[in-house]
Amino acid sequence: MTPWRITATALASATLATLTAGTALAQQGAAAIGKHPPISILINSSPWYAGFEKVVGLYEQQTGNKIKLDVTPFGGMLEKARNAVRGSESPYDILNLDTQWTIEFYEGGFLTPLTDIDPGFKLPQEVFTYDQSGYWNQEKRWRTAEGGKLMAYSPNGNVHLFLYRGDLFKEAGLKAPETWDDVLAACGKLHSPPRAYGAVFRGEKGNSIRYDWMPFMLGSGAAITRNPAAGDYTVTINSPEGKKAVDLMIDVAKKCGPPNIAALGQSDAIQLLATGRAVQGMLVAAAWPNFEDPTKSAVVGKLEAVPVPRPASGQHGDAIGNWHFVVPKSVPDDRKKAVIAFSNWFLTQAAQKAYLEGGGIPVRSDVLTADLASNPKYRWVKAYLDSQKFAKQELGYGEGPQVEQVLGLRLNQVLIGEMSSAAALNAAAKEIEEIFKKSGRKTGTLPPLPES
Amino acid sequence: MQPKVALGAAEIAAPALSRPGPAARSGAYWLNRSFRWWSFLPAALLMAVLTLYPMVNLVWMSVSTIEFAQGRDIWSFTPGRNLDLLLSDRVLRHAFLNTLVFVVVSVAAEMVLGLGLALLVGRLTRGKGLVRTVMILPILVPPVAIGSMWKLMFNYDFGVFNQALMGLGIEPVNWLGSTSVALISVILVDIWHWTPFVFLILFAAVEALPVDVLEAGRVDGATGRQALRHIILPLLRPALMVAITFRSILAFKAFDEVYLLTSGGPGTSTELISLHLYKVFFEQNQLGYGAMLSLAVIAAIVAFLLVSRQALARSTAA
Repeated sequence: MTPWRITATALASATLATLTAGTALAQQGAAAIGKHPPISILINSSPWYAGFEKVVGLYEQQTGNKIKLDVTPFGGMLEKARNAVRGSESPYDILNLDTQWTIEFYEGGFLTPLTDIDPGFKLPQEVFTYDQSGYWNQEKRWRTAEGGKLMAYSPNGNVHLFLYRGDLFKEAGLKAPETWDDVLAACGKLHSPPRAYGAVFRGEKGNSIRYDWMPFMLGSGAAITRNPAAGDYTVTINSPEGKKAVDLMIDVAKKCGPPNIAALGQSDAIQLLATGRAVQGMLVAAAWPNFEDPTKSAVVGKLEAVPVPRPASGQHGDAIGNWHFVVPKSVPDDRKKAVIAFSNWFLTQAAQKAYLEGGGIPVRSDVLTADLASNPKYRWVKAYLDSQKFAKQELGYGEGPQVEQVLGLRLNQVLIGEMSSAAALNAAAKEIEEIFKKSGRKTGTLPPLPES
Repeated sequence: MQPKVALGAAEIAAPALSRPGPAARSGAYWLNRSFRWWSFLPAALLMAVLTLYPMVNLVWMSVSTIEFAQGRDIWSFTPGRNLDLLLSDRVLRHAFLNTLVFVVVSVAAEMVLGLGLALLVGRLTRGKGLVRTVMILPILVPPVAIGSMWKLMFNYDFGVFNQALMGLGIEPVNWLGSTSVALISVILVDIWHWTPFVFLILFAAVEALPVDVLEAGRVDGATGRQALRHIILPLLRPALMVAITFRSILAFKAFDEVYLLTSGGPGTSTELISLHLYKVFFEQNQLGYGAMLSLAVIAAIVAFLLVSRQALARSTAA
């Protein structure tokens, strides 16, 4: 046998072996999942979508089952989901719902609990439940596993990450920010507008400022309501702790932020960090891939991540902003079973690893803890996992969207100097109390804060 | 002329000659006589389905509370509740005032600019077609693209306006993040978008102005200003009324550009009624109150149009 023939035979054997192994793997996967009718998913075009698309491609390749993705901008998701469940048969077999929207769908009776489709379906232990937001207790009208049914699981769980420029911090002899005082100290050295802003976060009216204020609020020990899980909707936002939280946010915005911080949305904050114009910033974990992509970012490899800082005399706090895969009631049974088959596969460690490698944020702890700590590409993971320990759900009631509108406006008015923090919180408390009153909740409010 | 008279007489005489008996009159005769009314029925039904039904439904929604439970919508008759919400809505007051300022300023500016452009282009001896084509471009751009485009241009750090200002050594302007500037920025975009629309309406009217009347005025010694005030503007009045009516209605309903540029912020400085309505309907999911708000907006538009038409009629008469 000539060397050429030996090489050719070896190559052919290797190719055959690879193909056989691949086919075997696919068949094994297909055998475990089984054949199912095609399903369609209403999914948002968020930064983590690329990872999800890749993992869906892998599922189709391994099982031969087909999935159609309707990729929709965030702004159109809620109406498409509402229209889907209010019709006679939903055009989507899976809807992806943002955390604030879930209550409306759970409470409205539009969904099939996942365990009603397959009583054997349960989330693997390693899968994050994000403060049990996928469970619904109809009697308590609360999202809890205690007495609740499993309505959803998360394809993506966002918490805030606090990002900072490792290179500039090193040069300036600064340590990673642990408290907001550290953030302010860094601003003192690095804030030099308009060339460089000390820190950015979303100050835009509405969901943006409300969500970005949550770490300040929770870290200061304030709360919107006293104990909604137990049915006590007394509004406590106008507490001294609440005022401290607003004042702290304003302080950071004034000393570190750009002049237009009251109009900054998520894409603006990403833009400022990605162009190197901002030195620190608070953003959701899903935004991370934007900074490591050389076609979009001027700071590849330069940003580091830590959990959101705490007030000097407070604790770490953060609000979870996760998404939920749910199944509309009006989906035919065979397609509901196809959803469960996909879900069982999607939540496996192998699929979640592929999801991470494709740019997604996995929802299994074992994928995040495996061998990633040493890989610089995933240096955000530690901060993400640390944040999971203290992050919690907020606005977990039907009135959540209205409460968000109130807070989103009043906080923005403080930021632009239209109201004092005390006046804004007193006004917000009164308005939120009215909302709860109209819904027949047990409510009340704290005595107003002095507005001098 | 003669055949017409003869035909008229025949028409008058015909029913008298062929008048049927009482039995026939109650059946086929009545059907025959009323056919012209019956022929309206399909169109009337279609109009009722397409126009009246949604309006009736909106009115019914406005006096109801709509909730969702057990996978279906549950309506309860609560007229006072929605009215109470309307009267106690703090954001609505700001939205109404902003909308009024937005409509008056943007429509006035568009009318002045549109008229000026129409008169200028009307004087051109060649190239009118090209100018008209170029002028129409802003109307063709989708509002979403307009919002994104102007948002980029207004960007505090990277926008072309601030880059130009800084190039001239002037402090950058917080176009969308300052309460005192944001509404002006939004109005500027609206003027850019809709002036060509006014121009197109008025340009057609300017082109149709009777040359002999203008010529007679000139012969009588009217100055340019006098001709504009006493001849051109009165002749353009119908076209001006059409342009004002259409633009006011559209300006009252402005949504896309404001939503993309500022989402109503900062604070309530650019909150317009349509934006507030969107939030009530789609973000807060208050369908009953949203319907009540819609009716209030319709009433406001009608009132505004009546007042502005009367004011314009008075000023033209004066």
